[in-house]
Amino acid sequence: MHSVIRPNAWVALKLPSGSTKVLQIIPNTTISLGKYGAFPSNLVIGRPYHLTFELEDKLPDENFSRIRVVTTNELYAEVFADEAAPGCDTPAAGANDAVISATDGEEFRLVDDKGNVIARSNHEVIDDNARQTLTQDEIEELKREGNNAGKDVIAKLLLSHTALDQKTSFSLAKYKLLKTKKYIRRFQVLPIDVATFAHWQLEERDSSKIMDMRAEMIGLVGCWGNVHFGGDEVLLPDPNASTDQGDEACLPVDESLLRGRWLVVDDTCGLLVAAMAERMGVLYEAEEVEGETEEQNGTATERTPASTENPNETQPNAPAPPEPTAQQGGDTEMLDVLTKAEKRQSDGKPKQQKPRPSDFAIPYSQTNSITVIHGASQPNLSLLNYWGFDITSPNHPPHPLLNHLLNLTWLQLLKPELDTSYSTPPLTASPETLASWKPSRRGNFHRKRRRYARIRHIVDSTRAGNFSGLVCASTMDPISILRHALPLLAGGAPVAIYAPTVESLAAVSDCFSVPRRTAWVSGSVPEIEGLSNEELERWQGNEQFPLNPTLLQGVSIQTSRARRWQVLPGRTHPLMTERGGADGYVLTAWRAKPAEGKVAAKGKFKRRKVESEAGTPA
Amino acid sequence: MEPATRNISPFLDPGPGTKANSLAILQLSRDNLQPVYLQPATGKHDGYAEGAVVNTRYGSFPHSTMLNVPWGSQIRASKVDTGSRGRKRKREGVDDACRDATGATEKDNEDSAALANDDSATAVKQAVADTSGFIHVLPPTPELWTTSLPHRTQVVYTPDYSYILHRIRARPGSTLIEAGAGSGSFTHASVRAVYNGYPAEGQRKGKVFSFEFHEQRYHKMKEELSDHGLDRLVQLSHRDVYNGGFLVDGKSPEADAVFLDLPAPWEALHHLSRRKPQTLPANSNGAATANQQTEWVSPLNPKKSTHLCTFSPCIEQVTRTVSAMRRLGWVDIDVVEIANRKLHTSRERVGLNLNFDRGVNNSPRDVEEALTRLAEIETRFREHAAKPGDGDEGMDLSDEDATPAAKNKAAGNGSQAPSTEDTSSGTAPWMEGRLITRGEPEIKTHTSYLVFAVLPMEWTEEDEAAAAAKYPIGKEQQVIGAIDKAVRKKERREQLQKQLQQSGNRKSRRKERDAKMAEASG
Ligand SMILES: C[S@@+](CC[C@H](N)C(=O)[O-])C[C@H]1O[C@@H](n2cnc3c(N)ncnc32)[C@H](O)[C@@H]1O
Repeated sequence: MHSVIRPNAWVALKLPSGSTKVLQIIPNTTISLGKYGAFPSNLVIGRPYHLTFELEDKLPDENFSRIRVVTTNELYAEVFADEAAPGCDTPAAGANDAVISATDGEEFRLVDDKGNVIARSNHEVIDDNARQTLTQDEIEELKREGNNAGKDVIAKLLLSHTALDQKTSFSLAKYKLLKTKKYIRRFQVLPIDVATFAHWQLEERDSSKIMDMRAEMIGLVGCWGNVHFGGDEVLLPDPNASTDQGDEACLPVDESLLRGRWLVVDDTCGLLVAAMAERMGVLYEAEEVEGETEEQNGTATERTPASTENPNETQPNAPAPPEPTAQQGGDTEMLDVLTKAEKRQSDGKPKQQKPRPSDFAIPYSQTNSITVIHGASQPNLSLLNYWGFDITSPNHPPHPLLNHLLNLTWLQLLKPELDTSYSTPPLTASPETLASWKPSRRGNFHRKRRRYARIRHIVDSTRAGNFSGLVCASTMDPISILRHALPLLAGGAPVAIYAPTVESLAAVSDCFSVPRRTAWVSGSVPEIEGLSNEELERWQGNEQFPLNPTLLQGVSIQTSRARRWQVLPGRTHPLMTERGGADGYVLTAWRAKPAEGKVAAKGKFKRRKVESEAGTPA
Repeated sequence: MEPATRNISPFLDPGPGTKANSLAILQLSRDNLQPVYLQPATGKHDGYAEGAVVNTRYGSFPHSTMLNVPWGSQIRASKVDTGSRGRKRKREGVDDACRDATGATEKDNEDSAALANDDSATAVKQAVADTSGFIHVLPPTPELWTTSLPHRTQVVYTPDYSYILHRIRARPGSTLIEAGAGSGSFTHASVRAVYNGYPAEGQRKGKVFSFEFHEQRYHKMKEELSDHGLDRLVQLSHRDVYNGGFLVDGKSPEADAVFLDLPAPWEALHHLSRRKPQTLPANSNGAATANQQTEWVSPLNPKKSTHLCTFSPCIEQVTRTVSAMRRLGWVDIDVVEIANRKLHTSRERVGLNLNFDRGVNNSPRDVEEALTRLAEIETRFREHAAKPGDGDEGMDLSDEDATPAAKNKAAGNGSQAPSTEDTSSGTAPWMEGRLITRGEPEIKTHTSYLVFAVLPMEWTEEDEAAAAAKYPIGKEQQVIGAIDKAVRKKERREQLQKQLQQSGNRKSRRKERDAKMAEASG
């Protein structure tokens, strides 16, 4: 995963301005960095991630820049110079016998017209004579020439800043840093993983799309939800039903096989699902080891999206949008690729080509799966496109999410009998009848039967419950989600609910307050008299008790915030400004299995101190 | 259950319920967790007729009542004869017969010894439920373990490790290096992150390579890992990593991610290079150098960027670490500290007509309520003054002010009909007042600084030449990324058109669906 930059990979280009560009590295194209210049995509394909590249000056007969790798000696030359300077009170670890010696970074000296050094780094005051003013035209001119990769521009801009010497060394450094970021033509290529993508979406794109979910929250929700690899793939055997068999030939859900499944409500356009899939090992396609599968003419490994006519679109449009023509036999192709996917996933050895699965075959793994419940008739998981997965695509190329992501509507979960696709029995036809049909009709027939079997499997297995955890980031009231999701959780299963603001989570927590719980278990709630534990688990709530307050243990709310620091010789401090907006909150708890009947707490302990000393009550 | 799944760590797949000799976490109260290895009742244990028992201030809980129950079960306390046991309890409040972990570590050996004997043939007494007291039994997770594990060192807590593991890209299948292991808090969280199944013979799966130079901690950890079924997923080495580096049996772990929770990370960093550093830092010496003279092997995965995080409480440590990182070629150096806060919710109950309960502030809820009461007092004062009397009205007034109970009475027999109704209709105490959240009385304001960095894979001139030959340039047709205005405008027009088409498609699909619905319902 993410060793070198693959053809057609989605990547993040980190620019010197600090901004990020997310794009797909399509072979044989020119990647433009706007004012910084442009370079052929083939110059980064097959190269490692995280290197720093620099656009070189254009050769006279070329209309693009070539790039070179910038060494870290160059990257840090200024810092090394600062550290070596006398009076630096934060010397490097073993700075004197440095592992790598600092090079003479010319870019860190200010030179005048004649090339005389006027100032070096931030230790010297700039000569008055050096003050000159560059006009905007001159700056443009310099940039066009692009001499020496913008370093000249920086030096000259610094000199032209008349107030420079009045600034403290601190602000000088800051000033210079800003200029450096703006004009040096360097960039880095980062893989699009959940951390990089979420950061970009939050800071540079539309943070509301992902409900302002910060990295801290993604980490917390994942851990408190105990989201992790939930076991090797387990597939149900193909029932090999013939076409004249209906419902009765569908596979029943085998509850003993269901393991390592997480229930999700995601209104972050799929970021939450992506984060969970990453933690479960089903987000990224297995990367072929270099050399093992030879790529044809240097293009093939990452799937080429169907439409590349729109390369400037940052929104990925892979794979093909559903087209009317794809309907015929569309799912047949999907099944084909599923078979291929299975083949690839098992230890990479080529297997015998399996016969095509029958209509009622279930492609979903019984383990290590994510079940998304959604409020609209289709789930909005559009951000998964960045990882090559399009939930709306009927004939999808291989992707691990295909067999590990299940989705259903709240209607299908709670009132399946009202859902047409669940409650309409599958069509049947004798082989003879089928043979007499046109291929398109036959295709439709199979497609409907397949869809029926899958929906039935998803609904029935979800309703069977026993989920390993519930993770939410939803705009819906979490109380209403819990009312229906809690009964589906296995005992001891964790719940982790993210919300950008605390109010909705406080309301959940209040449902489990001590007074509510005490009243509930002490028999002072007439409405629940005589209800069995099973009925109490499915308690539909009333005004006083929106939820059964005994179904969760250890309800607590937390928030986390990372504070960034700048670490430079003599100038180490927290950053002055950071992104504001919602900090984010996470509610965590565990699913409890309350004992039957009334339960009373032991004794009353007045104060914690006394409590802990008290030991065993007599 | 097939044998393949039987040995899976309860941390990774706890199964549906508690099992004998496996770890469970008892939740005594909200933040009071106790790890326990549940033992089958085979006879009298440590003087208890019921077998092993956990004694808490919430009652006594024989293991037999907690065995083979679904996780999350609420367990009632049992009536256990604590008095007539022969042996004196060594510690109060905690069951030391089980290898519980909250207690002092030195006692552990003794405890496990206690576990082995006492299995006399006497029949096990059936536990009898007590009238009150309960706890919950939870499946172990790194989060529960972190809050309940026996502390041998400072540990990394969930707010930090959740962020760290996310940032260092510890994922199923990753190889992670960790030093020092300490109390194993981070170890448990990281093994969950990299787990993608137990490796078959010779198979490479997600794995943690952990290092600890403190002998006792090393042995304790070793024992814990095997008790937790994690010994095949965590390879623990007894090693001083400053001098000894990170190779295991001379071989490279090929790490994708590294976490250093050491006092001087910069002394370990030079081992984490792609190739032998030209000069070693002054403080590195002896054994390591000899080893490196033969053939230097990098402990890092040569085919990927390596993500690193160091964890240091002091900024001076950070400065030195960052400086060393820069010199060793690490990039994207990023220093953060995590501030985590827990919030408690409660009902803020203010008002004159509320029950005189704990936590209730019996002062006026708002100006109107204050006004009503003041006016009432005035009225009564005047009535009182009109009556012939000895005239200590002053006393009367201050009395009214002092006792909330009196206030309630006053409100009750006074003119406040609506509020009387309110109280009599019995607004439940859990519905009263305003829902509020507030921080804990004491918060952790600083744990440590987290320094993140990335080391790209090695890229030689030969590599570059090979890549250049494989992906030759000169066939570029399109431009992607930032482009000039005219082109962008054109793009946008086309995009818009496409969207229109798509929405057309969507509409027709919706129509189709509606028709289908009609057909189905008709
Ligand atoms: C703060 S503790 C680590 C806690 C651990 N991260 C946790 O979450 O439980 C630091 C540990 O590093 C170990 N240590 C210190 N220097 C070491 C070295 N040079 N090599 C190996 N371990 C070392 C110490 O013995 C100690 O146990």
